[in-house]
Amino acid sequence: MLDDLRYRIRALFHHTAVETELDEELRFHFDKQVEKYMRSGMTDEEAKRRTRIDFGGHEQVKEDCREARGTAFIELTLQDAKYALRQLFANKTFSLVMILTLALSIGANSAIFSVINGVLLKRLPYSQPDRLVRIFLSSREYPKFPLNPWDFLDFRARNHSFSSIAAFTRGDVQLSGDGEPVRLNAFGITSGYFRVLGLQPQIGREFDFQAEIPGNGLQVILSDRLWRTRFGADPNIIGRKVTMNMQPFTVIGVMPAGTEHPGNEYHSVAYGESVDVWWPFSFAGNPNQRGSHFIEGIGRLKDGVSQERARAEMNAIMTQIAREHGSNDSGWTVLVVPLYTELVGTSRQLLLVLLGSVGIVLLIACANAANLLMVRASARQREIAVRLAMGAQRSRVVRQLLTESLLLSLTGGALGLALAYGGVRALVALLPAGFPRAHDIHVSGPVLAFTLLVSFITGILFGLAPALQASRTDPKEGLQKSGRTSTAGRNQGRLRNALVIAEVSLASVLLIGAGLMLRTFLNLIHLNPGFQQDHLLTASLSLPHAQYKTDEQTAQFYDRLTSSLNALPGVESAGAGSDLPWTGYDENAGGFTIEGKKPPPHQEFHARYHMATAGYFSAMGIPLLEGRFFTQADKKDAPMAVIINHVMAERYWPHEDVIGKRITFADVPKKDSDWMTVVGVVGDVKDQPNSPGAEPAFWWSELQVSERDMSIAIRTRSDPRQVADGLREAVHRLDPALAVADMKLMDSVVDTSVSTPRFAFVLVGLFAALAILLAAIGAYGVIAYTVSQRSSEFGLRIALGAQRTDLLRMVMAQSAKLAVPGIIFGVLLALSLSRVTQNLIYGVSAADPAILFSVVLLVLSVALVASYVPARRASRSDPMVTLRAE
Amino acid sequence: MTGRIELPQGTLDLLILRTLLPGAQHGWAISERVQQVSSEVLSIQQGSLYPALHRLERRGWIKARWGTSDNNRRAKYYELTRTGEKQLERETEAWRKLTVAVAQILEGA
Repeated sequence: MLDDLRYRIRALFHHTAVETELDEELRFHFDKQVEKYMRSGMTDEEAKRRTRIDFGGHEQVKEDCREARGTAFIELTLQDAKYALRQLFANKTFSLVMILTLALSIGANSAIFSVINGVLLKRLPYSQPDRLVRIFLSSREYPKFPLNPWDFLDFRARNHSFSSIAAFTRGDVQLSGDGEPVRLNAFGITSGYFRVLGLQPQIGREFDFQAEIPGNGLQVILSDRLWRTRFGADPNIIGRKVTMNMQPFTVIGVMPAGTEHPGNEYHSVAYGESVDVWWPFSFAGNPNQRGSHFIEGIGRLKDGVSQERARAEMNAIMTQIAREHGSNDSGWTVLVVPLYTELVGTSRQLLLVLLGSVGIVLLIACANAANLLMVRASARQREIAVRLAMGAQRSRVVRQLLTESLLLSLTGGALGLALAYGGVRALVALLPAGFPRAHDIHVSGPVLAFTLLVSFITGILFGLAPALQASRTDPKEGLQKSGRTSTAGRNQGRLRNALVIAEVSLASVLLIGAGLMLRTFLNLIHLNPGFQQDHLLTASLSLPHAQYKTDEQTAQFYDRLTSSLNALPGVESAGAGSDLPWTGYDENAGGFTIEGKKPPPHQEFHARYHMATAGYFSAMGIPLLEGRFFTQADKKDAPMAVIINHVMAERYWPHEDVIGKRITFADVPKKDSDWMTVVGVVGDVKDQPNSPGAEPAFWWSELQVSERDMSIAIRTRSDPRQVADGLREAVHRLDPALAVADMKLMDSVVDTSVSTPRFAFVLVGLFAALAILLAAIGAYGVIAYTVSQRSSEFGLRIALGAQRTDLLRMVMAQSAKLAVPGIIFGVLLALSLSRVTQNLIYGVSAADPAILFSVVLLVLSVALVASYVPARRASRSDPMVTLRAE
Repeated sequence: MTGRIELPQGTLDLLILRTLLPGAQHGWAISERVQQVSSEVLSIQQGSLYPALHRLERRGWIKARWGTSDNNRRAKYYELTRTGEKQLERETEAWRKLTVAVAQILEGA
């Protein structure tokens, strides 16, 4: 075994010495044999001739010896590679075009694969992540809804499906103490939240059940980042008190670096290490009132328990709960969604479509390369014929040609990897806001392996057909014909045409896709958002509970703040609201009563609830349709007023005059003050820019129903950035310990909201452009080749009196003959793929005639332009040259 | 060429090893010796001799060194290694069994 290895290594590395020795050995044998024959009486010449016949092919013997040495494979490959390199250097333009197009398309594939690897393929950073599920409620109206805390407690106590289950809700806190107060990304979590995720604090511990009892909640767990940046990585931090929301919280734990947020629905924070602190969720209030839903569930399935079984059990518990609270049907079903699906579900389709698109680009590049190689193989027919005549085996020729195409594809792949390296950075910068796991996207080991594999497959894919074709060369024919006029045969011509048609159809598919993405993007930008995005500055504030104990204090703060903001120079109007459009706000109030109406069985009246100050609607630019906005008069002791949106008016009071209509939240309304009166109807704003429609919604006056966490909206006459300092000062004057968070221009919020369709459009558009360029090169190559093949025919035609324009038309018609079937296949393919793009497009049909028509026109013109140069060359054929040559 | 027969598959290695048993030889001498000893019935073509020598060397059954031939030319000599000797014993034994068995069938049938 060891001998064998040593022998092979010597044979490989002392290649020249071994070969010289072999030569010498064979020469010695030859001479001895000649000597022998001469001794038997032959002449010198005759003896040599006999010996040569005995010997057979000298080269063959050497080849067999190499084979016997066991190094033939590597030696042949090296030899082939050397030869291939020489060939590639001899045709610099050809090689450059091939390598560049391959580099571009392989690089694009690697870049997209990097994203897919980081987002879809990399394991979630929790132990046994496939056992983790998110738990939601679902009803006819709300497909995905948060849980009620008391329901959650029942789930936790009664289930047998989960090894642990927890709930969490976003609730930011204000950290003060040293320096400027800052607002921290914070979550309230139940005991066991980190156990569910399979994470443990690096120091300290996580919350116990005691912490969930109201009054025990002044405890906090810090993130590694906050611990390091704000507390100097103090190892004795456990037990220290920190001031949050103006209250002393005791630090009980510090999570390790790499503690990633598993994602949330409402006011979602970015995926990754985006949470600063966690505080204990406390279960306060009346366990019998289960109308408010605002916590999100997460659980770890026990081993062997399927997601379906868990869902069935949870639903059984839900029915139990409903019965215990005097109803047969709560109208809710429990959703159990794998965490992975929840995290990357929506981006998955987009990424797969992008992978499909770059895959198509690569296929087109392959078809092009195959075409170019076939042209070259016909030019090299003579060379190949010579090699075959010299006794080379056909498999050797195939191998030689494959080595050349692999050399091309691997060089292209290496260059493509460099492109991908830069491309991935650009991609990550272009990624839509809030794209899951964006920080996990790198050119990593799997990406390297993918690139190598793709390059290899690419090389074989485009090299095999031309190589097989070339090896079928008949040595006799190949030698007789001169390289130039040798016809490649009808088969080859047909194959080359088919490749171009395929290229055109694939490029058409991508162009149609790009058209759909563009229309989606344009539709979304030109969508009427329901508010006015320009000249609008927004921010958010949260008043600490300790300071602002009563509704009056809160209401007074926002009242004073908005009046001082309205007094700022350049401000048109300013107001505060419980939320801003397009933030994913989905807090609902259910179970209210509409005077004189009964909800259908098992369906409560539901609507999004909000609070707003008097100036909120005019600051946001939400139009008043009927009635009035709030005024300073809608205060504590005045009759309760509500403003509703258009959808709510239509749904609950169809064809009625809604102003003056009343709703109540009291189970048994007794007095007039239990009722709330509709005073105004405002225009609709959808939850998200691409939501199918707006949800019913109403607003309370902030002076009557107060909320501590509010968003500020300021409409200005000129650049809204100029009032940013004014806002900070106004807040500071009222309360120096308050942090102004999330200061944003509504313009940029709107811009962010279309970042996903923009991302899709830019990338698919880029790939489509690349595809049509490659297809044009492919068509040009084929037409130019046939023109050069038929140059004598053209000359003859002109000599016989054909007009030059006839020739021009003839060649361009040939191009159209390739383009038209290509376009037809492309359109059919695109239509059959429409299901794939369904969820990615908005306001446009996958069979949009305008888009199809433009693509057909574009592809046809590109095909004609591509054939124009060779067609002109054909029309300028010189009859004299042809006649002289014949 | 009359009277010569083709070498059965697999016997070439055996013949080469056996020829080298008395001592080191170069390639030409090996083929000559096989031809002589077999009374001109067996002959080894150069086309198969040298690949076989390289293969046996790779397996470690023979080893090569350069020496001087009778007419003072550099020649490559092959000799049996210890594993080569063992291999020869094994193959000889196997060959005997085979020929006996084949003969039995041919005569007995």
